[in-house]
Amino acid sequence: MANSLASSINYIRLSELSGKINAAIDTSFGRSGFWVIADITNHSFRPQKKYHHFELVEKDPDSNQLLARISGKAWGNGITRIQHFETVTGQPFTDNINVLLYVSVQYHAVYGLQLDLLDIDPNFTLGVLAQQRQATLDKLVAENPEYIKKAGDVYITKNNRLKFNAVIQRIAVISSKTSAGGEDFKHTLQNNPFGYQFYIDDYYTAVQGESNADQFLKKLLEVFYSGKPYDAVVITRGGGAQTDFLIFDNYKIGRAVARFPIPVITGIGHHKNESIADLMANTQTKTPTKAAEFIIAHNKKYADDMLSLQHNIVIKSQQLFSRHFQSLTSLNSLVVNHGRNMLTGKKDELTRINRSVIHITRTVIFRKQTALVNLSSQMLSGPKIIIYNRLNDIRQLVGSVKTFQVQYLRNKIGYLDHFRSVIKMMSPENILNKGFAIVKSRNKITSNPDDIAIGNDIDIILSGTQIKSTVKQKSRYDGSDFNL
Amino acid sequence: MDQILTYESAYQELAEIAREIETESVSVDVLAQKVKRASELVTFCQTKLKSTESEVNKIIAQMESTDPKP
Repeated sequence: MANSLASSINYIRLSELSGKINAAIDTSFGRSGFWVIADITNHSFRPQKKYHHFELVEKDPDSNQLLARISGKAWGNGITRIQHFETVTGQPFTDNINVLLYVSVQYHAVYGLQLDLLDIDPNFTLGVLAQQRQATLDKLVAENPEYIKKAGDVYITKNNRLKFNAVIQRIAVISSKTSAGGEDFKHTLQNNPFGYQFYIDDYYTAVQGESNADQFLKKLLEVFYSGKPYDAVVITRGGGAQTDFLIFDNYKIGRAVARFPIPVITGIGHHKNESIADLMANTQTKTPTKAAEFIIAHNKKYADDMLSLQHNIVIKSQQLFSRHFQSLTSLNSLVVNHGRNMLTGKKDELTRINRSVIHITRTVIFRKQTALVNLSSQMLSGPKIIIYNRLNDIRQLVGSVKTFQVQYLRNKIGYLDHFRSVIKMMSPENILNKGFAIVKSRNKITSNPDDIAIGNDIDIILSGTQIKSTVKQKSRYDGSDFNL
Repeated sequence: MDQILTYESAYQELAEIAREIETESVSVDVLAQKVKRASELVTFCQTKLKSTESEVNKIIAQMESTDPKP
């Protein structure tokens, strides 16, 4: 049947077909290459055969369903390019990475369609990694607001806000058992030139490969639960292959470092970029040796501070003493000088007062004396004058008396003579001699005619003769005999 | 000297006496007393200061002898 069919149908052999396919592919694609973006799966590498084998796939970003799959290989120069890629990106060429490859399309009669890797672009992957890293960072900030904040380009985490103890002495080191980094770190610390002592506990874990993140995390927690009073946790990595830092961009490790209650120092040996762990940690250094140097410098600063404090204390205390001695001395001399001055002043004052007392007293006494002398001289001269005056008066009086008594007597004599002549003229005898008579009634001289009645006896005295008569008649007489 | 006399209180008192004497607000009746007191205080302060100084110097010498400088 087959033979009859074969005889009637125009067929070719498979190898002929594959030859045709090969020719068609060769015509269509030739030796030219294509830049292709794809994910890698089923990767295997045989160092002995120096041959990478893998599959390139494209998945639907939403449903994750395969859209395309072509197997690929790399050998010869392709291997060199992959090594370069790994060095530049820190990303091993392995499953589940998104890469930009330069490939040529090849068809092999036995192995089928294959893509031959000619080159791989590290920059594309770096960009992808950077995006992933940024996404992780954003997630860290978004999901742990109480531990991680972003301020400008800087991440502020609980851990990097912790202050180191004054001296960093108890240290937990997380490193790979086989890595030279941990040994570098310890060696640098223990051979520090200042003789500082350190107590170092090793926590060994794999520090490569993102798949070891959980193991790494467990070690970090072990440090925490050890209950030991560590001054710092140091994460080192170094020596070995300079690839695969992705574990330090792991979300969980970043979060654990950010939240860790003991300051974390990283020395990851990562010259190109900062890992997320670096950003979350308290202090990042480039290498384990630098981490150790940082710790030594920190302690050295403390020792220096202590020394300078000590020197300050010495200087300040000496200054203090000299200041106190000076002020004591100045107070002392002040007391002495002013005390002395005061005494001198008081003495002078006393002398002055004394002098003025003496002076005033003298003046007073002098004045009193003068007054007394004046007074006494007055006393002396006054009476004399009075007496003199009185004597004078008396003398004058005497003179007057002498002068006037003669006159006086003369006057008196004159008066007396006058009076005598008047009296002589007026004497009754004289009058009687002139023709006048005295009439007596009842032996009393009368001049009133009414006392004499007719018939009465009267006595008439006339010029030395008494005549007794009786009144016969009384009548009025108007003679002018006496009219002179 | 007073049992509870401290450097500070002694110094204060001394300064007060000095001020009184300087401003001559002190009476001559008590001047001698004051100056005597001042001299006691100066002696006290100096003694105290010197003993403290020598003590401090001793401590400083100790500090410097244990100086961890290499």
